[in-house]
Parts: sequence; structure tokens; C-alpha cells
Amino acid sequence: MDPDNVARAFVDHYYSTFDANRAGLANLYQESSMLNFEGQKYQGTQSICGKLTSLPFQQCNHQINTVDCQPSGPAGGMVVFVSGNLALPGEQHPLKFSQMFHLIPTPQGSFYVQNDIFRLNYA
Amino acid sequence: MALPNQQTVDYPSFKLVIVGDGGTGKTTFVKRHLTGEFEKKYEPTIGVEVHPLDFFTNCGKIRFYCWDTAGQEKFGGLRDGYYIHGQCAIIMFDVTARLTYKNVPTWHRDLCRVCENIPIVLCGNKVDVKNRQVKAKQVTFHRKKNLQYYEISAKSNYNFEKPYLYLARKLAGDANLHFVESPALAPPEVQIDLAAQQMHEQELLQAAAQPLPDDDDEAFE
Repeated sequence: MDPDNVARAFVDHYYSTFDANRAGLANLYQESSMLNFEGQKYQGTQSICGKLTSLPFQQCNHQINTVDCQPSGPAGGMVVFVSGNLALPGEQHPLKFSQMFHLIPTPQGSFYVQNDIFRLNYA
Repeated sequence: MALPNQQTVDYPSFKLVIVGDGGTGKTTFVKRHLTGEFEKKYEPTIGVEVHPLDFFTNCGKIRFYCWDTAGQEKFGGLRDGYYIHGQCAIIMFDVTARLTYKNVPTWHRDLCRVCENIPIVLCGNKVDVKNRQVKAKQVTFHRKKNLQYYEISAKSNYNFEKPYLYLARKLAGDANLHFVESPALAPPEVQIDLAAQQMHEQELLQAAAQPLPDDDDEAFE
């Protein structure tokens, strides 16, 4: 499958899960996974999902503007870079964000997120 | 400090930064001031909405350029660009959500790292709500750090002017400065139980006479 298509499918799945049921993101991480979220560091499924599910808002809406992708390493990994807008309930203005994922194939033929770096884009 | 696309004025004006956890009512509080709400400007690169709030004092007009976030604080601390050149500040918490008071020391630390020695008001918002989690007498942080504390209810306009008056007096260096005219405010959306609030204010006075609890900032449970 074309890496760009895989990346797009992953991104669609990631953000629709994030927006509808953040706890469901746990399936995408493993114990070695790392997340940098606005400069704070988390490692492992529990720690990462603990952060994501404890964000102080319920439903939100990611609008994806760009998805870039590169094959990474000999084992069939992929680096995916996303930019977009994020609308929060009760906020008038969307926030701009960037997020980078390093995806590693699993023996089952799927991918998990080894590295995840998230930033809001503002001065 | 006004935004580049915002009108400046020929009377004293000051950058006021409002910080505190998401959902504590910062935006609701600044939006009560109607002319500020009409003249607000949004700057997407900084992710900030600036409301110019004018007040009328016995020494003339004063303007606070109130910097309000677009919700970035829900993700973590704010960037230095939000604090920089701040001349006065309001730290807001929600008296119905204990965690928002527990986080006040963090907001104070972040603020003071960039803005040294500026006048700061701590505001406990939503005092109109019956089920308070943070009682007036449990609020002690301001005493440790020499801040002013006010109980407010943004939705009822209760004590709306108090924080601004305190900051105006500090910035003018005139403890007798007073407001001679009220700014136009949005009509109250809720009514506050004034008798109950008077009891809380009484509690605050009594608590201020007690020695400070012998704990660090994290010990509030």
C-alpha cells in the first residue's frame, strides 16, 4: 500500500478517535511509546492515555490541513507530520497545531505509534 | 499593550494578563465589560484576544488591555510571549473546582518568572454557585505572596470592578484613587445570594487574622 495512503488512513483514524473517544487511543500505543505534549514528556500506554484523557475538555474537533509522510528505517516504519486547526467547546477561535508520529509495523500487519510529538502553534 | 492592529489612546494604558486553569471563567469575566467586548481584537499568531477595558477615575481615564487566551492553557503552560511586557495580572480560579485553586501556585510562578514585581490580584470566581469546594477561609495563597484576593461572580457582576480598582491604585501609586463612573456591563445572568456572600466575606476577614497554616503550596487537599 502507498505510504501516503497509509498515513492518511492513520491520521483520519487517530483524530476521529481523539475527537469521539479519547480512551480508544490506547490501542495505538505500546509500552515503549513516547509522547511529548506541549513540552511535557510521557512514556508507555498508561501514562500517555492518562494525559490525553485528562485534558480538561470533552468533545473537540480536529480539522486537518496537511499530512506529510516518509518511509523510515529498514523495518517498514513511517514518519507522519500533520498540521491543522483544533476547535474546543466554548472557544471562539480554533487553535493551530502540529503533530509528528513515528509509526512502527506490528507483526499483525498494523502499526503502533512509537513517537508522538504535539505542539500548539502560537507565539 | 495594544495589538498592532488596535487603536491606542492618549491616556494611561496597561497590559493586563489573565491566567488560570481553563474553565475558571476568565473569558466570561472580561466579556462583561461591553465597550471592551466591542473593541476586542484577535491576534491569531499569538493566539490571544485583547479587550481594551476603559475605567473612569477621579484622575481621568485608565485603560487595561486585557489579554485573554484562546484556550491554550488547557494543554499546558502558556508561552512567554503571552506574559511578556505584562504590567499587571489577574490569576483566576473557580471556587467550585478545587483543582483550579491547587494550580494557582503554578500560574503565579509562571507569571512571576516573566513579569517580576507587578501588581497581581487573585480572583475566586463563581461564588454565586451554592456548592463551593473552596471555602473563603481556605484561600490563603494570596497572603503568602502578598497578592490581593477578591471573591467574584462574573455572571452576576459581583465585585466586577474590585480587581481593576486595586490594580489601578497600584499602577497609579495612589491608594485613594477611585472610580467616578461605572463602565457599561452586560446584565447579570444569575443573582447572587448577598447574605450568604456577606458571611463568606466575614470568614475571609477572620481568616486574615489567623496565622498562616504551616504548609507549603502543595498541601491544599
